[in-house]
Amino acid sequence: MVAGWSEKDDHELLARIQAGSRDAFAALVQRHTERFYRLAYRYVQNREEAEDIVQDAFLKLWEDPGRWQPERNSKFTTWFYRVVVNLCLDWQKKKRPSALDDEVSEPEGESGLDIAAIQRQEQKMLEREIAALPERQRAALNLCFAEGLSNQEAAEVIGVRLKALQSLIMRAKATLKERMKSYL
Amino acid sequence: MSTTRDQKEQKLEVMLQSRRLEPASPDLAERIVHKARHLTQNQTVSLTQWMKGLFAEFHLPRPAYVLASALIIGFIIGFTVPQNTTPADDADSLSVQSFLYADEDDL
Repeated sequence: MVAGWSEKDDHELLARIQAGSRDAFAALVQRHTERFYRLAYRYVQNREEAEDIVQDAFLKLWEDPGRWQPERNSKFTTWFYRVVVNLCLDWQKKKRPSALDDEVSEPEGESGLDIAAIQRQEQKMLEREIAALPERQRAALNLCFAEGLSNQEAAEVIGVRLKALQSLIMRAKATLKERMKSYL
Repeated sequence: MSTTRDQKEQKLEVMLQSRRLEPASPDLAERIVHKARHLTQNQTVSLTQWMKGLFAEFHLPRPAYVLASALIIGFIIGFTVPQNTTPADDADSLSVQSFLYADEDDL
């Protein structure tokens, strides 16, 4: 990577990408790949699939950088989170994640299983229940809890008001509490 | 009762924050950059951008400079044209007219 690109902000890099700079694209990819991968993984629960989604999102940006319109979007990451979420949802419509298809049995008493096995089972059950939530509730949970976005930023990504986002989180948590009651 | 509910809420939050994450391949970013090298950019211009471009075509870069240049050129042309040519020009135009209408008398 060309020295100096790392100091430029996202908007500046995007302007250079729109002018055809491959170095600016490389800098943007290096900076953000990890965070968008994390989000994609939350949806698909599979490394290869999550990597493909992130790659697809970045290559679409490279091929058609005019999709990013600074006058319409306040922050690159907010806009790109939305792009990645949409790709994940498209992916889920085409294919259900195999990792979540496995049957999850009800928990046994702690004496029967070791702690690590119980935790794995809990995690599997949780992922399964999150995957069953309505789209926007799932997005709210993934962005706020897994990605650590502020409620305001998550609301911008999903395209709802702050109050609506808080209500989405509340409803999602209530559903999960109910469905996971044997694990809590 | 409410303490149990709080505990459940807390446990759920802990579970939500400690969800399993498989780390990405260390070369993921390089792979993306490498793949992009084989792709060419196709620029789609949005309506707003197209309109801006269109108006930019008609935009005078610096109106004051354009006005000043027009005045200077005007003065230069004005001073380079020879003066006191009016009577001779009139005579010429008369002779041209008489030439043009010369045949009309015969009709």
